Amino acid sequence: MLLLAWRNIVRNARRSLITIAAVALGLAALLFLWGFNDGVHNSMMRNLQQVIIGSIQIHQQGFFRSPKLTRDIRRPDEVRAALRDFKGPVGWRLRAFALAAGDDASEGLVLLGVDPQRERGVTRIADKVSRGRFLAAGDATTCVLGLTTARNLGVEVGDDIVLLSEDRFGSLAADRFRLVGIIDSGEMGIDRGLAIVPLDYMQDWLSMQGRYSEAVLQTDRDGLEDITRRLRARLEPQGYEVLRWYDMYPVMKQWVDLENGFYYIFLGIVLLIVAAGIMNTVLMSMLERVREFGVMMALGCGRWRLAGIVVTESLMLGLIGTVLGTAAGLGLVAFFHQTGIDLSSQMDTIQRFYIDTVVRTEIDTDHLFNSVLAVLLAASVASLVPVWRVLRLQPVEAIHHV
Amino acid sequence: MNQDHMLICARGLVRRFHSGQEEVAALNGVDLDLPKGAFSVLAGRSGSGKTTLLNILGTLDMPDAGTLSISGRDVLTFSAAERADFRLYRMGFIFQAYNLIRVLSARENVAYVLQLRGVPKAERLRRADAWLAEVGLAGLETRRPDQLSGGQQQRVAVARALASEPDIVLADEPTANLDSHSGESLMHLMRELNGKRGVTFLIASHDPVAMDAARELVMMEDGRIVERIGQ
Repeated sequence: MLLLAWRNIVRNARRSLITIAAVALGLAALLFLWGFNDGVHNSMMRNLQQVIIGSIQIHQQGFFRSPKLTRDIRRPDEVRAALRDFKGPVGWRLRAFALAAGDDASEGLVLLGVDPQRERGVTRIADKVSRGRFLAAGDATTCVLGLTTARNLGVEVGDDIVLLSEDRFGSLAADRFRLVGIIDSGEMGIDRGLAIVPLDYMQDWLSMQGRYSEAVLQTDRDGLEDITRRLRARLEPQGYEVLRWYDMYPVMKQWVDLENGFYYIFLGIVLLIVAAGIMNTVLMSMLERVREFGVMMALGCGRWRLAGIVVTESLMLGLIGTVLGTAAGLGLVAFFHQTGIDLSSQMDTIQRFYIDTVVRTEIDTDHLFNSVLAVLLAASVASLVPVWRVLRLQPVEAIHHV
Repeated sequence: MNQDHMLICARGLVRRFHSGQEEVAALNGVDLDLPKGAFSVLAGRSGSGKTTLLNILGTLDMPDAGTLSISGRDVLTFSAAERADFRLYRMGFIFQAYNLIRVLSARENVAYVLQLRGVPKAERLRRADAWLAEVGLAGLETRRPDQLSGGQQQRVAVARALASEPDIVLADEPTANLDSHSGESLMHLMRELNGKRGVTFLIASHDPVAMDAARELVMMEDGRIVERIGQ
């Protein structure tokens, strides 16, 4: 059957090559577009996690919905014990609300206390400082502001601002902080409404010694679900909440899912083209051989065996096209992963969405396998019409077919 | 005649076709007994029903009425798959237009039927080569049909029909596309195989060359057998 199918493909080499080329080009283009799409999405999601929010955050139950200083992590040692097996970086932070006052203006903001050394191992927020410096070990009454907040307050690096907040007992707490750095991330949520101060000082200042609002974990995508599942199993019964980045910021995940949905529509269009191309070739090949099929039936070849030959031809065309298309598509993805695609002309837009200025193509395994399997499935489906025709053949009519 | 010796026993075969509003009876009550080892030619003008009868006897087509027993089996009760199996194990076919599988070599064409029967590759190739030698095509085993003359292609078809050692070989106008020399040569070959190996042949033809070679002529007219000569 394989020999017959292969020889029939070779018999009309030009037609077969055109079909194979159509399948290969369609799949290669699809894989490249998936590569670009996944490259953009993965850089967005990576950057979002790495800039400040991390991959996973652990809080006291209810903190994320209603963040209060008093809703701190009750027993940090319990959380540390749960994280003993986690090999990635972990940051401990304190979060509160404050009013910042410059010389001429004031603005409400989120006050984030971080360990300067440890934070560099967990997020890349320090790299986003465009003027001045990030916090350093030994800092006390220093702070870093987002660019928009600094502008609104009318302050520059080296100026002092006053931060006004409430301590753990509800008493007013105010102190003067020296602005040592300004962050220009391009992301509105960071550039406006955020002040970062040294964790140790903030704990003392707000009567929160040894207390934290959140533990921030950084992990790769492969480990995210498994780690979350294990931490939830251990910590949720103890009254903690374990949130993935997209539990906290679902919009980006929804946007990625939506865009992937559009790509699946494109995949459907490619599949239609592939199926139509293969069906056309196999059907023409089958119609040219009706007499031959009639003779084979007369010799004792059953209809289903003939149908098997047609399906095999279709699958062979699809398989060869798929192998070539996959090789070409992955080659393109590998090439542009190395060289990158420069999107710096769209800098303002892409930074706002956490996209790297140079996108490196990469393809998710599920998108690769779904595309390849779908093309092979299309090749199988494409044989249905020719198979249907074969199954309806009558030996006498087929033998005398002109 | 003793029915036990009959390879084919047909009674009252009727086959009608529709041509527009009109119904045409291609077979109009055919009775035919054919003994094992026969070398018979169905003769008659075009439209007399030769090919239709051959198709029904070959289980390629079904009659509208009548009974048909081949090798003692009531083949009209068979399903399409059972008929295909019956043809595979009991029958050989030779067609007018050579009808070899174009993408297979002479050897592979002959071996194809054996492959369908599940004969191991080495054995089927050995048998294919032996049959090609038997029909005078030794040395041409690897040629494709388009590299063979019409006469050679028909000899491959004969080898293919005989390779599975069938009870009967049905041939439909096997000399129609051959020149007279090739036609005579082919008929001589089939007659020789009939004599030497006892293979039963039933040949539909209006070619004088074929009729001259026949041991029996079955004359058909208007869908009926009107005369049997030389039985």
